Amino acid sequence: MTMKNGSGWLLPSLAGAMMIGALYLVFLWVPTERSMGIVQRIFYFHMPPFLVAVVAILVGMGAAIRYLMTKDLRFDEVAVACIEVGLVFDTMNLLTGPFWARPVWGIWWTWDARLTSAFVLWLMFVGYLILRQAIDEPHMRAAASAVVTVFQAVGAVIVYMANRLWRTQHPQPVIAGGEGSGLASPMWVALLGSLAAMLVVFACLVQVRRRLERLRRETEGLRREVHAL
Amino acid sequence: MEENLKWLWWAFSVAWVIHLAYVASLGRRQKRLREELEALKAMLEEKRGK
Repeated sequence: MTMKNGSGWLLPSLAGAMMIGALYLVFLWVPTERSMGIVQRIFYFHMPPFLVAVVAILVGMGAAIRYLMTKDLRFDEVAVACIEVGLVFDTMNLLTGPFWARPVWGIWWTWDARLTSAFVLWLMFVGYLILRQAIDEPHMRAAASAVVTVFQAVGAVIVYMANRLWRTQHPQPVIAGGEGSGLASPMWVALLGSLAAMLVVFACLVQVRRRLERLRRETEGLRREVHAL
Repeated sequence: MEENLKWLWWAFSVAWVIHLAYVASLGRRQKRLREELEALKAMLEEKRGK
């Protein structure tokens, strides 16, 4: 991968430094949770990726709506970059969960409302990318995939609300979950440190993926030109 | 404690592998597109030259 110029390294350097800081907070600084023990530390790189995936959907949907308003394909570049990188974080969320569930619940997975809706949201991310592969015309592709981002936003709300609305095997919400929910202060610091580092990594990957999309579009245009001659 | 350390290690490894695999795929795609772009430019030059 190439960076555009010297300043292009600023964001990756910041991401690296913040990730090292987050690892320090998660593995060395935050105290071990009393009832679950060391395995609870998975929480710090299980929950933040979901929040990053939600940010990806929201930014992607915003860019897609801007595309629909302006027909400017640069917004579609932002949308596809956000959704593809969002898929990486959503996959991280889905795959780290079972490594916590196995020692704590005794099972890897259960089809409760939270886990099922999270899996459906992951399928929506994949569906978005498959849909883009299936449509050749750039504007039709951008418009069709814009619609999917709206469904993804609805999906993200359902995942967020699932353990608030229904009884689930998944733990009850620790953030804004009402009476009895919440985290001890050091846990908040580790969680927010991890989230901040992942958001910078997300921004970094989106930047690279967006440049890749521009390159792809350029190649596509040139290919058409060659075929037309 | 040591038994649970195994799960923490696996979860952490999976998280990194996903990211590294994605970064590698971005690099691979970028290289392929640059090569294709160069080839198309050369082809276009050739066709226009004829």
